[in-house]
Amino acid sequence: MIRKLLAAASVASLCLVSTAMAQETINMWVRTGIGTAFTSLADAYNASHENQIALTEVPFAELVQKYATAIAGGQAPDALSLDLIYTPAFAAAGQLQDLTDWAKGLDYFDSLSPSHVTLGTYEDKVYGLPLLVETSVLAWNKGLYEQAGLDPEKAPANWAEVEANAEAIRALGGDNYGFYFSGGSCGGCMIFTFTPLVWASGADILSEDGQTATLDTPQMRAAVDIYRSMVEKDLVPESSATDNGVNFLSFTNGKIGHQSLGAFAIGTLVNDYPDIDFGVTMIPGVDGGTSSFAGGDNIVVTKDTPRLAAVQEFIEFAYSPEGQKILAENGSLPTRSDIAAQTLEGLDPRLQVAVDAIAVAKTPYTLLFNDLINSANGPWATFTNAAIYGDDVDGAFANAQAEMQSIIDNAP
Amino acid sequence: MSITAATPLAVAKPRRRARSSRQWQGLLYIAPAIVLVKIFFVIPVLFTVWMSFHNWPLLGEPSWIGLGNYTRMFSDTRFSAALSFTAYYTLIATIAIFALAFPLALFVQNERRGVSAYRTIFFMPVVVGLATASLLWVWLANVDSGLFSPILRMFGVTGRSANLLATFNNAFATIIVMVVWKIVGFTMIILLTGLQSIPGDLTEAARIDGASRWQRFRFLTLPLMRRTLALALILSVTGSVLAFDQFYIMTSGGPQNRMISVVYYIFNQSFVSFQLGYGSALSIVLLGILVALSIVQLWLLRVGDDK
Repeated sequence: MIRKLLAAASVASLCLVSTAMAQETINMWVRTGIGTAFTSLADAYNASHENQIALTEVPFAELVQKYATAIAGGQAPDALSLDLIYTPAFAAAGQLQDLTDWAKGLDYFDSLSPSHVTLGTYEDKVYGLPLLVETSVLAWNKGLYEQAGLDPEKAPANWAEVEANAEAIRALGGDNYGFYFSGGSCGGCMIFTFTPLVWASGADILSEDGQTATLDTPQMRAAVDIYRSMVEKDLVPESSATDNGVNFLSFTNGKIGHQSLGAFAIGTLVNDYPDIDFGVTMIPGVDGGTSSFAGGDNIVVTKDTPRLAAVQEFIEFAYSPEGQKILAENGSLPTRSDIAAQTLEGLDPRLQVAVDAIAVAKTPYTLLFNDLINSANGPWATFTNAAIYGDDVDGAFANAQAEMQSIIDNAP
Repeated sequence: MSITAATPLAVAKPRRRARSSRQWQGLLYIAPAIVLVKIFFVIPVLFTVWMSFHNWPLLGEPSWIGLGNYTRMFSDTRFSAALSFTAYYTLIATIAIFALAFPLALFVQNERRGVSAYRTIFFMPVVVGLATASLLWVWLANVDSGLFSPILRMFGVTGRSANLLATFNNAFATIIVMVVWKIVGFTMIILLTGLQSIPGDLTEAARIDGASRWQRFRFLTLPLMRRTLALALILSVTGSVLAFDQFYIMTSGGPQNRMISVVYYIFNQSFVSFQLGYGSALSIVLLGILVALSIVQLWLLRVGDDK
């Protein structure tokens, strides 16, 4: 009897031990305000899986240096939802897990968002895979259009229309403004919302190999003129001039006529601001065409994490039809093109505009994205501030062009 | 001879032993401080010097480059811009703080009705952290939701709303006003301590001798305050040279990168560009500048003492 009891007890304790060993908690960092799409996905994963995922929100502006510091201090999380533009730099530094074999073994690898996979690849190895896909699109407030006597269902097709409609909305008076952009010191916001004006017209701020700064073009000068004109006509709230990205979602206050936003903002508006009736259209170029920034996050895994299998299980859940549906229901775009139609079925039709934008969207590939573009003190952020709000436009172009090239030339 | 030679030795020996024992005792008392200084200052400084001779990326492996980081500084125009901006800020902030702190200290010097309340009011901003104060002022200066813009408009200073942080002159003035508001109480208290240490009978004697109020201030108060003024000056200059929080939080170094202090530039090199080696070299140079500035100020103080 005693022997039987002992045997039962040891079996029970073995079961407990094996359960404890099987169950793992993935530590993952995400940027603050990542939106409901990803947190809903994580909640669904935690509810249906033995392994769990614990999210830590890190302020967007500090994410890169905090992660770098954590790696240096041996405190890095297992995985990170990393702005896709940083993936090449982190992969080049040798801190990320090579996911090539496993990733290419996924049946649907070829249908994953191509821009994300490109940015997630460094020297032919895959270090990052798409997690959240978004594109920049132009949103307009239908309620304000109606109040201003404009046709709320007619999307503005070019910048002349945007400006004219913005003037009509500003004429409503009070706190109503025609246009908004986080321009003061948010390089990341401006690459997302402003460069499509230039890309659509065939110009770019960097050469294709990323080795030459090509900022000073007629297209960029025309784009600057469009924004300057709206600022000078007081169509843009003055706080835009000092906005470091904190007010990026100003459109949600219901008093902004137009703003270029991302798919995540569509989700936020639909879920959290149901009173705002808005339309979404492609961002026009300065002289025709449309373009967009392919943004969002890649999931990257810290090199040699002990919980690699658990992270892979989570990624596969994110790519499953169930995971894709949860993301899409909360405003994020489908990561897999092979099940995109199925994923978007029955969802807000405005998401389709953002999905269509994937076809024309661009993402610069450079290891110096932080130095050149995202840093509040980098040449790009300085340029947009000086060119749009300053008095010396020519000087702004000359300084930024020279400093960009100098950073590229002096890169270690 | 041997006795005479032995006698002073016999007398001197226990005295030396006693002194040595006292020295050991003293050393024991300050031992914790020595250990702390070594752990938190000397070792980090030595490590920083070591790092400054390397190309030391935040991610990846460091490599020895000798004086490469130091020679790079000479052609780094952004560093020289940061240096000259910091010097400009230090000059203006120090003048502004002293121009207000001295009158305030004189104002609250004598015991009279309500003086404690004034001292408290002037000192209160000091207890707020600089980062907290900066955030508070960002909110106050916000053109859409802050308090300053409508107040300035109400008093007719600006016709329409005033975006205080959007242009260099406005943002610089706003930061100087914030720093003066934040620091002046501290400098005032230091100066007040100096003022109150001046013996009353000296000023009384000068008054009886017929010295005017200005003469008493010029020829009595100011010279006797020299040490206190030097202390306040060193603290103010050091604080200003190390300024970071207010520029990082209130303007992100803008508009157009024109408000990047040296410490801000070091932060950018280290944690934005991930070049810890270059950041270390810049830190060592800044440390050298601060030591040199302090030596000059202390030397000026000593020159006065010799007279």
